[in-house]
Amino acid sequence: MDRDETMIGVLLEERALSIDELARACHCEPRWIVDHIESGVLECTVVATGERRFTSAAMVRARRLLSIERTFEADAELAALAVDLIEEVEALRRQLSAARLGKR
Amino acid sequence: MEFKDYYQALGVAKSASADEIKKAYRKLARKYHPDVSKEADAQERMRDVNEAYAVLSDAEKRAAYDTLGQRHAAGSEFRPPPGWSDGYAFSTDDTSGEDFSEFFANLFGRGAHASRTGRGHRAEMPPMRGEDQHAAITIDLADSYRGGERAITLRAPRLDDAGRVVADERTLRLQIPKGVREGQQIRLAGQGPPGFNGGPAGDLYLEIRFSPDTRYRVEGRDVTQSVPVAPWEAMLGARIEVATPAGTLEVGIPAGSNNGTRLRLKGKGLPGEPAGDLYLDLELVLPPPSDKARELFETMSREIAFDPRRSMRA
Repeated sequence: MDRDETMIGVLLEERALSIDELARACHCEPRWIVDHIESGVLECTVVATGERRFTSAAMVRARRLLSIERTFEADAELAALAVDLIEEVEALRRQLSAARLGKR
Repeated sequence: MEFKDYYQALGVAKSASADEIKKAYRKLARKYHPDVSKEADAQERMRDVNEAYAVLSDAEKRAAYDTLGQRHAAGSEFRPPPGWSDGYAFSTDDTSGEDFSEFFANLFGRGAHASRTGRGHRAEMPPMRGEDQHAAITIDLADSYRGGERAITLRAPRLDDAGRVVADERTLRLQIPKGVREGQQIRLAGQGPPGFNGGPAGDLYLEIRFSPDTRYRVEGRDVTQSVPVAPWEAMLGARIEVATPAGTLEVGIPAGSNNGTRLRLKGKGLPGEPAGDLYLDLELVLPPPSDKARELFETMSREIAFDPRRSMRA
């Protein structure tokens, strides 16, 4: 690659991933993604053509779910519960940080 | 490269059973899980733990590793001897997607297969796409406002001419998209690790993180910051200059503002369609004590009938 070249990336919010692209990005089978959408632990948007699309938040969530399921051989629902709690903690930390800023 | 002691990484004895190895792994995985761990080097430790478990949880890999381990101490200089894994039937495909060390990649990674079977056989392997790679980059909030370029350094595995896996460091210059928000992912197609046997390179995903800055709070595209104002500016109103991530702005403080009054500057948050808003929380600050200040406040105390705690009285 030409090292002087400046790379222009694409934000997943502007061009969301297909199931196959998400599966490659997460190193899993597309079937795993379909199963987790159907069981309600992973969300996607459905475009006019009926295809499912995934943005940044879905990718981060999918990778967390996979990591917990694989590491602890965890049931999908249990992994989803752990990820829900992680996301909740993140949201609370943001609120705490905001409250601290407000008190400065 | 250095020989890695996987038993030490998991904190188990060389005679540990498969069950003991699994228990030790899960305990450490919980301790160093990047989403919950407070350890500074959690990510690196987690990688070591994952790598050790990938080897020690696989009977064939463990047996092959144990054979090598009899002749090498942890940290000693190491090169895999030719034919070291002959007779062991471990797969090299079940470790995809892991960011493992050069030591692991040389022994057990995909490229190791090419190395073990000899260069003459590499052509028999089907073309394989490179794995997608994930990394994070930290930018300042101002970088998101302005966009602009950022150099990032990445490590990626590559097969050398002898079929060994070597870690390549490369620097990319990246265009930061204007208005990018924390947590968003940027995809660089074809900029991940190279493929094998002519397969295409994987993609590179970069997660955006903002460097900690106690001056600002960002929610979506909206940004909030505190602005110190003098009591008379709040009381009388004023036009003041405020340094914001959107640049230095002249802001009108309405007369009669109070501590905590929030001003909204429409469209001055993170750029986008629509742009976010910038909120300024006014913070009343007293002047430093001086004879003059004391004299003026004494005058106010005498002349102004004001009880700030009236509402607290029964």
